[in-house]
Amino acid sequence: MFGKGLFTGLGITLKRMLQPNITEFYPEEMPKLPPRTRSSMGLDPDKCISCNMCANACPNKVISLTSEKGESNKKVLKTYQMNVGRCLFCGLCTEACPTGALHVTQQFENAIYEADELKWDMIQRARKSGGKEGQA
Amino acid sequence: MDALNQLPLSIAAAIRSLFGDSHSIWADLTMDVINIILVIVLIVLAALILILLERKIAGWTSQRPGPNRLGPHGWFQTIADALKLLGKEDVTPAGADKFIFKIAPMILFALPMMTLAVIPYGKGMSPIDLDLGIVYFLAVSAVSTLSLLMAGWSSNNKYSMLGGMRAVAQMISYEIPLIFSLLGVVMITQTFSLSKIVEAQSTVPFVVLQPLAFVIYLIAGIAEVNRAPFDLVEADQEVVAGPFTEYTGLRWGLFFLGEYGNMTAVAALTATVFLGGWQGPAILPGYAWFFLKVGIIIFFQMWVRWTFPRIRIDHLMGLAWKVLLPLSILNILLTGLGIYIYDLVLRIGG
Amino acid sequence: MAVERTEELILNMGPQHPSMHGVFRMVVHFDGEIVTKIEPKVGYLHRGLEKLAESRTYPQFIPYTDRLDYLASPHNNLAYVLTVEKLMGLQIPERAEYLRVIFAELARIASHLVFIASMALDIAGWTAWAYCFRDRERILDLFEMTAGSRLTVNIMRIGGLSGEPPTEFWPALKSFLDDLPEMLEEYFGIFYGNEITQARLKGIGILSKELAENLSITGPVLRASGVNYDVRKAEPYGIYDRFDFNVPVRYGCDSYDRTLLRLDEIIESAKIIRQAMRDIPEGSVMAKVSKVIKPPVGEVYHRVENPKGELGFYIVSDGSPKPARLRIRSGTFINIQMLPIVALGWKMQDLVAIFATLDAVLGEVDK
Ligand code: SF4
Ligand code: SF4
Repeated sequence: MFGKGLFTGLGITLKRMLQPNITEFYPEEMPKLPPRTRSSMGLDPDKCISCNMCANACPNKVISLTSEKGESNKKVLKTYQMNVGRCLFCGLCTEACPTGALHVTQQFENAIYEADELKWDMIQRARKSGGKEGQA
Repeated sequence: MDALNQLPLSIAAAIRSLFGDSHSIWADLTMDVINIILVIVLIVLAALILILLERKIAGWTSQRPGPNRLGPHGWFQTIADALKLLGKEDVTPAGADKFIFKIAPMILFALPMMTLAVIPYGKGMSPIDLDLGIVYFLAVSAVSTLSLLMAGWSSNNKYSMLGGMRAVAQMISYEIPLIFSLLGVVMITQTFSLSKIVEAQSTVPFVVLQPLAFVIYLIAGIAEVNRAPFDLVEADQEVVAGPFTEYTGLRWGLFFLGEYGNMTAVAALTATVFLGGWQGPAILPGYAWFFLKVGIIIFFQMWVRWTFPRIRIDHLMGLAWKVLLPLSILNILLTGLGIYIYDLVLRIGG
Repeated sequence: MAVERTEELILNMGPQHPSMHGVFRMVVHFDGEIVTKIEPKVGYLHRGLEKLAESRTYPQFIPYTDRLDYLASPHNNLAYVLTVEKLMGLQIPERAEYLRVIFAELARIASHLVFIASMALDIAGWTAWAYCFRDRERILDLFEMTAGSRLTVNIMRIGGLSGEPPTEFWPALKSFLDDLPEMLEEYFGIFYGNEITQARLKGIGILSKELAENLSITGPVLRASGVNYDVRKAEPYGIYDRFDFNVPVRYGCDSYDRTLLRLDEIIESAKIIRQAMRDIPEGSVMAKVSKVIKPPVGEVYHRVENPKGELGFYIVSDGSPKPARLRIRSGTFINIQMLPIVALGWKMQDLVAIFATLDAVLGEVDK
């Protein structure tokens, strides 16, 4: 019958109107992201062996790091810069890291005001967060 | 209850009694000014509430809460939006016909003011009680076409013009079934006066006697105020925002107010003519019944809007000319027959 | 008497227009509301992906393929890695094959849900849009818990997958598949079954079988014109030949059938996923691949059935770790050709609807 579809539609919207809503109230309630979510990168400078694998894996040359020879000829990380403005958040760098020093974090509130803030000094960030950055 | 029912009238009487002669020209003038202010307040209030309600319903249908930031459950959201509109730059596009461009939103805003003035909000509570209420209402509300065409034409924008053209085609077509559907009621009551029509519905509202006319009026009314699924005039997927494309700030806000005002006016006429206006069981005062009925119709319009997709323009015209118009003429015929038979029965019986 | 004069209205729709998907632009000539000529203009989203590939190593290009048809990124990953694997002659573990199918079909469902949503939106069915996106969220959640990202998932690797799905993946997938029929019923109720929708779409924008074949249209648009052609059946890749599924074909050639066909495909995809869930073996998800991937010298073309059409990659290798030349054959880029032919003579509203049935994703069109 003509008009049946119209009433079915009205019925569906009415039903949905009466149902509880499904919105996530984001700023009040933080979403629980699964541990694999690639929202930012975090670095554990102590674990890093300055092998440069992450920088080589990156398709977009986001990562640049320097190291110096420490005692017993071991490389010690000196600077670790990420130019996140170019980052694809593809996770290839964290996959390449042999020690797990570079890892994904669920810190997704990455909005900033100045373009300069897109250059992340990972060592400084690691110090600031005090190893807590995993919990968004 | 009776005191509550008569409250607006008693207030009016009290104001009049402030003057020595309660029917002096000054008393009348004061009352008129108060009435004008009340109608404007009604429109603004209606728009503020309806815009919020619209957004709430849009949210609820898709299981969202709707605006919920400002005030309890977001009730102050529209006020904030209105304030924001006040602060916007008033842009007149280059090459626009400036005078017409500026006057168009004002016309659209003025119309619901004029139409809502003749609605009986309660017993003896029409700001102006015209003998030709229905005719006046329809004549005035038809002018909104002109406003949209003016806006569309003067904006110097192709999308606006397309929208304006659509407005003319659509609204003129729907005017006819709209008027014809009201004729049945007029035939029964033998009057054009809205307050007399309401009084005639003291036993049974006309929706029972004129169901077909009610449905036709409801559909044509939605089309007349350009709401989905008949919102071709401002169909954003096609003509961006139709005639309103180039408007900014307060002028755009006026259009918005006018739109919602018109919507209220059409709903108010539906409630008056078909649903018995302020008539209702005495548990609520008359004006409360009236606004409740208006509210239900508006809710229905919103519910439809957030369910249906937009109709196509040729189907829109087809619906008006090939379905609604013949049906409304049929309705007139049936009503005439009904009245004749009723008279006959009365004469035989009496 | 004044001389009557009519004039064509030339309207520029897009790149910023409410009904344009992404940044498509078309210059449309109107006679009143009737379309008389369309000139599609593409390229506003051109990022030079094919050229970029030449300066990336083979694994490094995978995240870029996410950005082609970003509504079904696992498919783009799949097409690319399959091409490279074909070039290298690489065998991948069984479990990875099954997981690839699951993710590809999930992506197909997600992409078609967006199609239904945007189709509804283009004819102003706002609420239907919200329902589709609500349900698509659940697929994106599945992607997120496995691959770590919702849209640009970057889940496939040359030789397998980025990782094993977590344990909570399987129950979530199952409950999604269980709820799917109810969801489809809801879409049908609010969108497909609505008389206004049917009046808007039925008989509109006829793409005849001959024209579709001549324009080398692929994907659901082709199958709605009565051609039974699906790369998954015509040239099975991966392990698609092991599954029992139908290729939905419709013969209406109009916008409504093109729209409805997506619903049929969702049902078939769900069928494939259920079979894959049943049969999936244990094992590793990654083949043994050397760290630096250097395919042998040669060239290769491989294609898959993307939700939008046939997606193919053509790679020329010179034996170095970077492709010498990479070329992408994307479905919608070729499907868009039908628009200036098919939409002629229809109204402005129909033009919007016909364009919507193409399900164009500009990331794939402009590359
Ligand atoms: S996420 Fe991808 S683009 Fe970003 S730094 Fe890591 S490898 Fe480079
Ligand atoms: S791959 Fe890991 S260990 Fe090596 S340099 Fe990068 S962060 Fe450090």
